[in-house]
Amino acid sequence: MSRRHELRTLLRGALRPPDNDSAFLLDVHRRAVPQERMARYDDSYPVDLVIVGAGAGGGTLAQRLARRGWKVVVLESGPFWDPDEDWVSDEAGSHRLYWTDERITGGSDPVELGKNNSGHGVGGSMVHYAGYCPRFHPSDFEVRSRDGVGEDWPIRYWDLKPHYERLELELPVAGDYWPWGDPHRYPHTPHPIAGGADAARDGAKKLGIEMRVGPVGITNGSFGNRPHCIYRGYCLQGCKVNAKASPLVTHIPDAIEHGAEIRAHCMVTEVVLDDASGQVTGVRYVSDGRERFQRADAVAVAGYSIETPRLLLNSTSRRFPHGLANNNDQVGRCVMVQGAPQVAGRFPDEMRMYKAPPPEICSEQFYETDEQRGFVRGFAIQTVGPLPIEHAQHIAGHGHWGPALREYMRDYNHWYTLGILAELLPQPENRVTVVSDVTDQNGIPVARMDYSQCENDRKNIAFGKQTIHDIFEAAGAQDFLITDRYAHLVGGCRMGSDPEQSVVDADQRCWDVPNLFIADGSVMPTQGSANPALTIMALASRLAERLELKRTGSDSAARRRRSRRPRRRAPIQAGGG
Amino acid sequence: MAARDFRNAEHLPNLRPDQQPASPEELPRQRNGVTPQMHGRYPDYNVLDESEHWDEITRRLVFERVESTPPIRFFTDAEARTLGMFCDLVMAQDREPKIAVLNMVDAKLFEGQLDGFRYADMPEDRETWRRLALGLDAAARQHGAGDFAGAATDVQMRVVDALAKGELRGEVWDEMPPAKTWKVVSRAILSAFYSHPWAWSEIGFGGPAYPRGYARLGAGQRENWEGAPAFETDPVKDTEQRGVQGT
Repeated sequence: MSRRHELRTLLRGALRPPDNDSAFLLDVHRRAVPQERMARYDDSYPVDLVIVGAGAGGGTLAQRLARRGWKVVVLESGPFWDPDEDWVSDEAGSHRLYWTDERITGGSDPVELGKNNSGHGVGGSMVHYAGYCPRFHPSDFEVRSRDGVGEDWPIRYWDLKPHYERLELELPVAGDYWPWGDPHRYPHTPHPIAGGADAARDGAKKLGIEMRVGPVGITNGSFGNRPHCIYRGYCLQGCKVNAKASPLVTHIPDAIEHGAEIRAHCMVTEVVLDDASGQVTGVRYVSDGRERFQRADAVAVAGYSIETPRLLLNSTSRRFPHGLANNNDQVGRCVMVQGAPQVAGRFPDEMRMYKAPPPEICSEQFYETDEQRGFVRGFAIQTVGPLPIEHAQHIAGHGHWGPALREYMRDYNHWYTLGILAELLPQPENRVTVVSDVTDQNGIPVARMDYSQCENDRKNIAFGKQTIHDIFEAAGAQDFLITDRYAHLVGGCRMGSDPEQSVVDADQRCWDVPNLFIADGSVMPTQGSANPALTIMALASRLAERLELKRTGSDSAARRRRSRRPRRRAPIQAGGG
Repeated sequence: MAARDFRNAEHLPNLRPDQQPASPEELPRQRNGVTPQMHGRYPDYNVLDESEHWDEITRRLVFERVESTPPIRFFTDAEARTLGMFCDLVMAQDREPKIAVLNMVDAKLFEGQLDGFRYADMPEDRETWRRLALGLDAAARQHGAGDFAGAATDVQMRVVDALAKGELRGEVWDEMPPAKTWKVVSRAILSAFYSHPWAWSEIGFGGPAYPRGYARLGAGQRENWEGAPAFETDPVKDTEQRGVQGT
């Protein structure tokens, strides 16, 4: 094993991951995904699968199934990004990367949406995620059995493990040997870390807390036609380099090569159900102000934890008067965020935390339940690296404004920032609903998310916050700034083994609609203290495997598909379409 | 006036008895390019000098902020007067050169740019700003002033501080929670101010970094083009020696 690993490390960027040529299909001279050869399907042509959303779930699922010969159309509400032309090395100028349509946030601990956790465009939120790609721990799948809280998943860690391993090669993930959860190695060696991370790691060590480098979905060395990271620190603004992994560069190119169509600027407004058969027949969507309907044999919704429930709740029919797949009032429930307070520490040396990717080092030493802490489950410790606007908001979050805020900002280069990701527990009243009297530009009711913490959540966050404060103190920090926030979104259409308590089954199929699937983070029953991107991808990868098994199990369906007319190809246009 | 060593942290508000910084007038004057009010911890560093190393798309965007100030189109004159004063207080911009924060906020609201969420107990962002203008005047009147813009500085400071702490009450503030109002408006103000390259020069931020990137990541290290801090520089002696005048 170690011999093989050494060889792989030596060859890393030159090795193709199994069954995914994305990195090699990108152009050497420009960052945009080549679209000249992309298939175009007619709206009236019943594709095998239409996927709503081209993010971590939708992008991965499209690539997997296109590879297996499925005719797949992905409808994405946002643009098909060209990193050279559309993205900037600038915080405020990256506003377009986020889901900025109106949404309402309520509850006693309301969650900031938009920039904080919601993506837009091909690549989804992974376009602006930091890059952390940890796996979930085996314990995450059986929280109810172990700790008496949350819910057990209908699948186990071992069901996802082969998909984690495969995705870590595809992204690829760089990092130290990982001793936590199910211990494992990463295909790319750890990145160099900046001075602030070094100081934090030393401080942690003094307290007996181990921090390791990674795991990040950022190439260390070139990878196919993706260049190596240049440590410019703008991971959250979209990687203009193509070094950071997102489906845009890790799965979409291969999906297109195998016949998938990625149709951008298409806002799906309804999943259409045939009341007679109880099956979905396709999706209604708006493109260029015109309403259209894409026929499909099956639909996979991958709009993430707010847009997926919103779409289902807005898709009403005689069979489902309260929203598609919602006859048990489960759609939108148990939506979750992670508690993500941050502590900044001030050092005598300049740390210039805008350099290097924000995700540098991580500890999962507090991930599992420790009864001595007085609460169940735990948190991860990670680095953050905020740019000036984000750091100014951190200072304001601590309570400073005016002359004090300006003075702290003038001191920006002396600071470094740590954050935690605390596992907050799923609660049915934390939910996404739709607001009938507030509509978007297409006249579709917008989503409302209500969120309130429980006692265990508050204890977990407080303990984590104190821990990172102590790390900075041990590292010799001279001053501290503390702010509260949330990170990530999962849940809202959870998977389960009881139709009364979940929206989809273990194969992510809606309980009452046999050809409707959910392929994003909303299916997660719990969230662990890990960033969700890799697990969302792993779930989509597993879903593809399950769908393929089902299809090959049915001869007649396979015969029917083989006899169809070939897909339509658009004439080749310069610059793609 | 003693020189400061920024390896120490004693200049930071949390560590000072009144939680307020010393006057920034003690800092060196900016000698290269512009910073807001010309205070400079990095007096010889002008981030715009690096623009030839930026990609074209980013360069255009950043220079737009410097070269053209959008006109006030969303706010009325009266609102602009109140809110302009408010933005200056929040960013401690007490004299020229100033970053035109309110104009940047106005442009965003005029174009209908949203942030992707609004609190359930808050109006939408545009309405929040209009009501803020009313609410600031109302709060100033509670202190005996005619309106916010015309109030004495200490009254203005008390009103802003009460807003930031979520402690305003009465009239507008009985209907619109002050703490959330502060979150919404401070987010917009800080985003505008710290998106401006003058502010980047003031804090010694490297600015756009594509395609050049960074090579020197360690503690206390900087690229050869990054600005040196002016610690251990006595501004009085320094300006005399260089024969330059502060503005």
